[in-house]
Amino acid sequence: MNELAAPTQHEKPQPQGETARTPVPSIAIRKSCNPDGIGLSHYVLMDKKAAK
Amino acid sequence: MAAPHDRDAGSTLVAVDIGHAAYAAVTDPDTAFWALVDRRQVDESLRSGPLLQRYRAQREQFARELQALRFELKPSGVYLNPTERCNLDCTYCYLPAAQRSRGSHMSERALLDSLATLRDYFRSVMGDSDRKPRAIFHGAEPLLNRDAVFTAIDAFADDFAFGVQTNGTLLDDAAVEFLTARNVSIGLSLDGPAAAITDATRHTWANHSVHDKVLSAMERLRGYGSWSVIATCSRANLPYLTRMIELFHAHEVPTCMLNPIRCTMPGAREVKPSDADMSEAFFAALDRSHALYKQTGRKLVVANFANILLAILAPTARRLMCDISPCGGGRAFFALAADGSLYPCSEFIGLPRFNGGKLLEGGVAAALASEAFRSVVTRDLDTFAPCDRCPVRHFCGSPCPADACEMNGGMTKTGAFCAFYKEQANYALRLIADDKANDYLWDGWDDGTETVFSLDGDPPTA
Repeated sequence: MNELAAPTQHEKPQPQGETARTPVPSIAIRKSCNPDGIGLSHYVLMDKKAAK
Repeated sequence: MAAPHDRDAGSTLVAVDIGHAAYAAVTDPDTAFWALVDRRQVDESLRSGPLLQRYRAQREQFARELQALRFELKPSGVYLNPTERCNLDCTYCYLPAAQRSRGSHMSERALLDSLATLRDYFRSVMGDSDRKPRAIFHGAEPLLNRDAVFTAIDAFADDFAFGVQTNGTLLDDAAVEFLTARNVSIGLSLDGPAAAITDATRHTWANHSVHDKVLSAMERLRGYGSWSVIATCSRANLPYLTRMIELFHAHEVPTCMLNPIRCTMPGAREVKPSDADMSEAFFAALDRSHALYKQTGRKLVVANFANILLAILAPTARRLMCDISPCGGGRAFFALAADGSLYPCSEFIGLPRFNGGKLLEGGVAAALASEAFRSVVTRDLDTFAPCDRCPVRHFCGSPCPADACEMNGGMTKTGAFCAFYKEQANYALRLIADDKANDYLWDGWDDGTETVFSLDGDPPTA
């Protein structure tokens, strides 16, 4: 599949003359770690050490 | 359907218009892989080039990582409800009003016995891990049973990392001193920048305002590192989210959540905003938080959005386990109700069919194996429409199963805010394209992570 998905309601308008701009470089990044998330919409654990 | 790792990478990449002037995204929905490419060169990026070559080499690795995150976790946290009662009657509460108004406290003895059983369970599944299991005192209002809660925190200080989610009305000087001295993570709730707005959804049973009491609690916590405030977004406060951000930032709140209202109970559905209205107000609030950061150098992280960014940048680094499918309920954590029953998540405590049995009778293992839990932990959005074809489905997770069941008719339905979650993914990808993502995340968010894929600044596909 290589067609763009339907534009979204928050799509920003394309600037005029877009075809003339310099191509932009590709970006991709993925990081990995041991998962330990247990938060949920009712609570997010904030465990930064900071005594009052 | 073939397993994700059996498919060819080129055949599974999907192009997504993220609404950016220069970039489009390509994603592999099966592995939560993404890249941003020049929007005029999408077809070329999908056919050939370094992006596709490198992704093909690592696709199986990413598929396995996501598989482990989604299906192979062991619980490491528990949400403890030490009382059924609450001193407030909030419009959208997921707990039945009869429980909150006339319910019972868990006895101190039962709470201590429960924590001992839970400690043994977590030891059995977490082994010699250098991290403690998390125990969060949670709704209804845990500080109504304050003596038992504080006794338990001291009795099990060596065994759990504790947190408390409270409405803040009972958080007096002594409570703050006790909790902060023990580095307990504290969450408050406030729905408006002014009393008239908060009062629309959060008030006492006699309809009295609690807005100023929560502000006082926030002042007591100023300077503490481990606290947050939740604002539940409904039609009542949506026009005021930007002012909420200004209030939280002025009070030096380190982290907040602007949560779209959970629609488990009918009262919540009556004040549910539309996805479009939610998106507009939410992104304006995010923009305001960023402007304040740039002005002052001090971040106010909006955790529920930060979690979407994390789901994109580092899927395993998520802090919240709602925005993943299956959700964390019943597999990363579970909830203990005040009557001693286990549920996949507190969100289900008002729904008896999700009761997995008593902790002190059947134990945790029996609950995890119960049909009540199985129905939640097997909710896999790869298996139902429209999620199964969504290019950003593993950045979102289609939360929440309780919403899906109670509002939309079943576990194989979407959650309450499908379009809003798609827009969050687009917004997050635009921030990454503009190199602003770190501004919206906690400092040091990637400490302890390893970069496993990087294509930053590679020249465009020829």
